[in-house]
Amino acid sequence: MSFGALAAWQAWLLLAGAGAAAGWLFYRKVRPPRVAVPTLLLWRRVLDTPREMTWWERIRRTVSLGATVLVAVFLALAVTRPGPAVEAGSRGRVLIVLDSSWSMLTELPGGGTRWDRAVERARRLAAAAGGDAVAIATTAGGLVEGPTADLALIETALGALKPSGGEDAAWPRIVGAEATYFLTDGSVERALDASVEIHSVYEPAPNVAVTAFQVRRAAMPSGQHEAYLEIANYADLTQPVRVAVSRGTEAISDTSVSMAPGEAIRQVLVLGPGEPRLRVRVSAEHNALAADDEAVAWFEGARPIKVTVVSAEPGALGLLLQRHAAVEASYVAPGRYAPDDADVLVLDGWVPADAPGKPALVLSPPTTSWLGRRLAEERDLRWSDRGAHPVLAGVDPQTLAVARAAGFEGPGLVPVAASESGTPLVLVADEPGRRLVVLNVAFEGSNLAFSPAFPVLVADAIGWLARPEVQSSGRPGVVELPASTTRLTAPDGTPVALVEAGDRAVARLDEPGLYLADIGGGHAVLSANVGGPDVSNVSQTSLTDEAVAAGAEALGAGRIWWLYAVAAAFVLLAAEWWTWQRRITV
Amino acid sequence: MAALRFEDDFLRKLEYLHVVSKRAFAGQNRADRLARKRGRGLEFADHRAYSPGDDFRQIDWKAYQRLNRLLLRLFDEEQDLPIYLFIDCSRSMAEPAKFDQARRIAAALCYIGLAHLDRVTLLTFGASLGDERVPGRGKGRIFRVFEMLEKMETTGATDLRESFKQFASRTRQQGLAVVISDFLDPAGFESGLKMISSMGHDVFAVHITSHRDQDPGALGEVRFVDAETGDLRDVEVTPALVAAYDEAWHTHAEELERFCGRYDLGYIRADAAQPFQDVILKTFRKGRFLA
Repeated sequence: MSFGALAAWQAWLLLAGAGAAAGWLFYRKVRPPRVAVPTLLLWRRVLDTPREMTWWERIRRTVSLGATVLVAVFLALAVTRPGPAVEAGSRGRVLIVLDSSWSMLTELPGGGTRWDRAVERARRLAAAAGGDAVAIATTAGGLVEGPTADLALIETALGALKPSGGEDAAWPRIVGAEATYFLTDGSVERALDASVEIHSVYEPAPNVAVTAFQVRRAAMPSGQHEAYLEIANYADLTQPVRVAVSRGTEAISDTSVSMAPGEAIRQVLVLGPGEPRLRVRVSAEHNALAADDEAVAWFEGARPIKVTVVSAEPGALGLLLQRHAAVEASYVAPGRYAPDDADVLVLDGWVPADAPGKPALVLSPPTTSWLGRRLAEERDLRWSDRGAHPVLAGVDPQTLAVARAAGFEGPGLVPVAASESGTPLVLVADEPGRRLVVLNVAFEGSNLAFSPAFPVLVADAIGWLARPEVQSSGRPGVVELPASTTRLTAPDGTPVALVEAGDRAVARLDEPGLYLADIGGGHAVLSANVGGPDVSNVSQTSLTDEAVAAGAEALGAGRIWWLYAVAAAFVLLAAEWWTWQRRITV
Repeated sequence: MAALRFEDDFLRKLEYLHVVSKRAFAGQNRADRLARKRGRGLEFADHRAYSPGDDFRQIDWKAYQRLNRLLLRLFDEEQDLPIYLFIDCSRSMAEPAKFDQARRIAAALCYIGLAHLDRVTLLTFGASLGDERVPGRGKGRIFRVFEMLEKMETTGATDLRESFKQFASRTRQQGLAVVISDFLDPAGFESGLKMISSMGHDVFAVHITSHRDQDPGALGEVRFVDAETGDLRDVEVTPALVAAYDEAWHTHAEELERFCGRYDLGYIRADAAQPFQDVILKTFRKGRFLA
């Protein structure tokens, strides 16, 4: 629901307050005593006879009239909201670009946010276009509306917009733009054309933010993980900051620290097994930007990878997985295989009749309909083609001697390692709903069980299958996902649109929080946090002093003074009503 | 109200009083009030020539001996006087002091009429003509009159014109019409009084007043409620407005008095706070309504 320049909660609060005040005034109404008279005949004669007013009556009447006129003027001003005229800068297409950086959500001392002021300024610019075609764009979403001369469409588009990051997005353009206005706070420095006219909505504000929060492998021999936390105070005064860290539903830290102006504190939390969801929240008195007060992180290694090995005789494979700290393996004979809750399947020399619905490492597979077919066998082959796929990271093919191996091919299977003569040895499939690694070397015809390359290859494959890599900056914005991604779910549970881009899938994260990606039957969790030195320091700007000064002057006209006009009208009305009830005014 | 009873002394005083009518009206029964026509009274009035068919018993034989002409002796007829007592029972009369005063006045006039064998009719009125009761003849009927008056209640608005219009809709003997009211008729008292006067009655207006009618009783913000119609009016009562209202009330009373004088109607103002015996024995006698 939209309420003009008011936030929804402000509008509801205003409505509720006005209703309550009206009700209170009603019950405070002075009720005159009832006096029974034989007839009103004579009273009517008296009252209908014009009388000359006394001076006191004239003063009361004048005050009453003045108060009523003021109420009407205040209400008219609040409705029409007059302001200084904005010069129409062009007679052609006008492009109005709103900076949708998160810093635009900074609340200002005078009320409202930078974004509110940018929208208000955009409205006036659109109105001043004088019927020319106007286009609305944001730095995050590009062109949003137009070019159109229909101001209702522009108004609707402006009402629906909100900041969503996009600091690194491409600059929006329209064909034939005669003038381009950029409404920004200058928190992100952009290389702009000289023709772009900048309208500043910048006004410094104090802020406290979580500028970094991530889980990383500790630089220790134990290989433990740790959460790295960085908090900064961008206010110009020392203030206490409360920092609360939780893991899942459990609070693991809740402290208050006194932070000097510009100070940043860093903290490292050692993480053991447990809940993977981490959250940190800071709060302080002088804190203008709420979007960077909270950050989330996902601890991938919090739980071991569940692996089900389907093998007639696990042998070396079983021994290897038993010693892998990040893997929890279970074994089942091919005849007893049934789908379970494992993260990854390892199929040793056997495949089920139907494709499994989860990522699988397939060792020396037989010909099958859903996977592919074996090709001619090659003897004494050498592994010569070592690709750059993550499955092969750290694998040394020189340690591997293969006496014989049959080639393999299948739909969607892409060879990432092959022999000198081209026989595929390692193949991967990364398609929507299908994520496979096929190792086309058997234990019987090779030294695979004793080769140093084997444990590295298996660990890489299980890791790649269970925890798909996602190229994310950790910020809201565009993220690249594997092509096998089938679904991306936002923090509020709504699906996020995926766009195919060659061998990748691309999505846009509009809100901060944890996103769940379903990738080839496996899952990945992406964290998106707003805070950072470039966004959170809302006391700095890349704009020139002249631009800031001009914006501040324009902002003066854009302040929500009309709210004060409404309040003044209401107070005046209540006072007039109260005095009228008591016959002080007429 | 308290029981409507008069003391014996006061009743004896009333028996000495007569209701004065400016005109002689024809009655129905023999009584002690001189009628317009000649009849069989005791007081000689005149002679007239005998006509065939006249009663031989009325021939003055002594005059025949002297004048040798047959002459009939004529006597004044003494009959009763029709007295119509109209009592205002509208809500504007609801103030106990006013209504009691009106009923006591009606009872006293009724007793005087009964004591002189006049034919008294009690009528109530408000928005229309109400009950009509004839107590009978003779002063012994006064207790019945008291009962009738005690049962009266105030209700509705005042409409003199409509009430007298309904009164005129029946053929009645002309007589003395006494209207006991506060005359606070929103449509004006003039048309009603003119109507009953035009019917040939000798009209007498008894104006019941009260200090509550003249004084609003409150200052400041007041919501007046019309006792008759229930209409509301918010008024800020200031001293200036009180003075203006008092002036309006006196103007109203003076208009009524002037109107009665102009149309030869009797007028008596009886204040509810005035002692009742003073009203009857002094004010009414001074107003030449009782003698």
